[in-house]
Amino acid sequence: MPEVADNATLPVTQARAGEPAAWDVLFRRYQLPLYAFVFELIRDEQAALDIVQETFIAAVRHIGGLREDAKFGGWLFGIAHQKCVQRWRKRTEVLLDEVPEPADDFEEGPDELLIRREQEAEFMELLNRLPVPQRAVLLLHYLEDFPLEEIVRITETPLGTVKSRLHYAKKALRQLLEARP
Amino acid sequence: MKTPRELLLARHQAANAKLDVLRREIVARQAAAPDRPGFLARLWLELIWPCRRTWTGLAAVWLLIIAANLSLREPRPALAQRNPEPQIMMSYQVQEKMLNDLLADRAAPPDVERPRFFKPGPRSESFHRYTV
Repeated sequence: MPEVADNATLPVTQARAGEPAAWDVLFRRYQLPLYAFVFELIRDEQAALDIVQETFIAAVRHIGGLREDAKFGGWLFGIAHQKCVQRWRKRTEVLLDEVPEPADDFEEGPDELLIRREQEAEFMELLNRLPVPQRAVLLLHYLEDFPLEEIVRITETPLGTVKSRLHYAKKALRQLLEARP
Repeated sequence: MKTPRELLLARHQAANAKLDVLRREIVARQAAAPDRPGFLARLWLELIWPCRRTWTGLAAVWLLIIAANLSLREPRPALAQRNPEPQIMMSYQVQEKMLNDLLADRAAPPDVERPRFFKPGPRSESFHRYTV
């Protein structure tokens, strides 16, 4: 799995005290993954930028509500996810697709999915074809390597559903990558 | 070969410049006018909100205690009758009259001055007074 910056070293405590430099470090760390997450969900560049901006402003305003400093990343992605959901609701788009019950053969833990250059376009195409809830779970898993419990909190979805979505999304991706060598 | 993360981040690398501008704006705004909550807001955010379940539980327990206390409390005795019976009124008037009579006796000045057993004077005289 990709290396993710150690959350323990992030200056969340200083950000709580209102230090602008600490906020700069935090936003710099998360701006691109957060944008990638939001963009891949809503597929609109300007709207994705707006949501990232709103997320950062909300984070500054509501940092007092964050319980554990180590969970800052998940908390930030949770705000962004909520804003995406609000946007879908405004546009009356269908957010939730029916997902089968949790798979028994779910494998938790890091996987070594590597994509060859010639498969990159197909990977992105398949990612876009996935239903939004499965895509959201998969993006959170790949972008930040969030544990299942964190994804549950971010998406406000039961654990079994998250497991199921991740299982089917990964399965679909693997099938694609194995089918086209 | 790339990991999905590397692939996704590389795909959106072009947006980084816009994100930098956006980030600097927010940080500059934060530096200019720090969005620090007031005392009550901080109290709410740092003390109440993180432990909201605990506080709710405590509040529920207190409500239960108050409800139990109110339901178990004995009813207050009826207030004294506003119009007492005539017999009680009569006895009260007799007592009042007796009290007035007693007080009137005391209020009158004494007819005769009471003898004084001690008269102040020089100590030498007092010695003779008691030894004679």
